[in-house]
Amino acid sequence: MNEPFIGPREWFGSTGDIGQFSVRVLLDVWSGRVLHFFGEAVRQAGILILSSALVLWIQSFIIGLGACGIEGAYFGQAQGAPAVAGIYSAWCDLREAIPYAFGYMMAAKIGTGIVAEIGAMRINDEIDALEVMGVDSMTFLCATRLLAGWMVLPFLYVAGMGVAYLASYIAVVKQVAAVSSGGYLLVFWQYQNPQDFLYSVTKAMTMATVIVLVACYFGYTASGGPVGVGKATAKSMVLNLVLVTLIGMLGTQLFWGTNPRTPIGG
Amino acid sequence: MMLLTARTISSALRPPYLYGSEFVSQFLFTLRICWLPLLITTFALSYGAPGLQAANILGVLGSVDRLGGFFVLAAVREIGPLITATVIAGAAGTAITADLGARKIREELDALQVLGVDPVKNLVVPRFLALMIATGLFNIYAILFGLFGGMLAAVLHHQPLGPFWVTFFENTSTVDLWGSTLKTTIFGALIAIICCYRGMTASGGAEGVGKAVNQAVVGSLIAFGSFNYVFTQVLLATHPNILTIR
Repeated sequence: MNEPFIGPREWFGSTGDIGQFSVRVLLDVWSGRVLHFFGEAVRQAGILILSSALVLWIQSFIIGLGACGIEGAYFGQAQGAPAVAGIYSAWCDLREAIPYAFGYMMAAKIGTGIVAEIGAMRINDEIDALEVMGVDSMTFLCATRLLAGWMVLPFLYVAGMGVAYLASYIAVVKQVAAVSSGGYLLVFWQYQNPQDFLYSVTKAMTMATVIVLVACYFGYTASGGPVGVGKATAKSMVLNLVLVTLIGMLGTQLFWGTNPRTPIGG
Repeated sequence: MMLLTARTISSALRPPYLYGSEFVSQFLFTLRICWLPLLITTFALSYGAPGLQAANILGVLGSVDRLGGFFVLAAVREIGPLITATVIAGAAGTAITADLGARKIREELDALQVLGVDPVKNLVVPRFLALMIATGLFNIYAILFGLFGGMLAAVLHHQPLGPFWVTFFENTSTVDLWGSTLKTTIFGALIAIICCYRGMTASGGAEGVGKAVNQAVVGSLIAFGSFNYVFTQVLLATHPNILTIR
C-alpha cells in the first residue's frame, strides 16, 4: 500500500510551501488583481451556495439538536435547574460547537471539493493551458475561490447559526419539554451579546480562509494521475481538521479566555 | 450501501477467514495516520470548548472545582466520540476512499474479480473491522487527552487538580464508558462502509476520485452526526441514573 502522509516531518516540511502559496493568493485578493476575474468569483460563489449551503445547514442542525440541545436539556434537568439549559445551549451554539461543526463541514465539503476540482485540472494539464493562454492561473483559480468564500460564507454561517438555534429550541423546549418556551428563550438570549456574535463569525471566517487556502494549495500542487488527486484530497482533509481545531481553540482563548462576559457575577 | 453492509458482515463471519494479514496492515495504517491529528484535535478542542468555557460559567457560580464532573458529559459522552469519528473519517476514511477509488479507476478491482478474488471479502472486510476496532480504541485516547485539556483549563483558573479528579470519578459510570465505546465502534463501522462504498463506485478519471473522497467524508460526517443524536437520546432516556450529579 502506498502510504500517503505519515509523520510530523512531512507536515512541517510543507508548512513553508503552504505559507508562501497562501501569501501569494492573499496578495492577489488584497491588491485587487482578482477583480479582473470578478465574473469567475461570482460564479464560484453561486456554486458554493448551490452545492454546499444545504449540507452546512444540515450539519448545524444536527449539532444544534444533539450536542447543544439534548445534552443541555438533560444537563439542566440533572442539576434540578432546567433553565440552565438556556445558558448551555447559547454558549454551545454560539461560541463553540457550531463554529467547529461548520469548520469541519467546510473542510469536508468545500475543501475537498476544491482539491478534487483544481487537482483534476492540474492532472489534465488544464492549468498549463491557462498559463499558455496568458491567464494567471493562481489568480484565476485560487484567488477567485477565496473571494467567493468571503462573499458567501459569512451569510451561510449566520443562517447556519439560526438553524442551530432553532434546533436547540426544538430539542430543549419541544422534545425534552422540561422548561417553558419563555423561560428558555429569556435565559438563552440573555447569555449572548453582539460582541460574542462578532467573535463567533470571526472564528468561523478565519477557519474558512484557511480551509480554502489549504485546499487550493493541495489541488494546485497535485501530481501523479487520479491516484494523486485522491491522495491530495485526503491530505488536505487531515491538515484542515487539525487547523480548524487549533483556530477554534486559539479563538476561544483569545476572545473569551478566562473572562466569560456573562450577565451575572464579576 | 445497505447491500454492501450486508455482504460485508456476512462475508466477515463466513469462513474461510483469509483477511488476517490485510486486517493487521490496515489497522496499523489507521493507527499511523490518525494518532497525531487525533491527539492535537482532542487536546485543543477539550481545552477550548468544555475546558475554558465551562470553567468560566462554573467560575461565575464559584464552583470551578466541579469541572471534572462536567467533563464526564463533555469528554466521555460527546466530544471524545465525535472528535474521534471526525478524525477517523477525515484521515483514515479519506485515505481508504482514495486508495479504493484509485484501484477502481485503474480497473484493479475488476482484475481481482476476474482472478476469482472477492473484493468485498479481501478489501472491504479488513478495512471495516480495522476501522471499527481502531475507532473504539482511539476513543479511549481521545477521552484521556480531552481530560488533559480539561486539566490545563483547571490549572489556568488557578484550581488544584484534586477536586477535578474527585468529581470526575464520582460522576462517571461504567454505563458512560461502554456507551461511549459502543457508540464509537458503530461510528467506525458507518465510516468504513460509506468510504469503501464511495471508493468502489468511483468513476470518471482524476476528478472522479476526488469527488468520491469529497462525498465519502461529507456522507460520513452526516451519518455519524445523525446516529449520535439517536444514540445520545436512547442512552440518556434508558439510563437516567447516569445523569444525577454526585
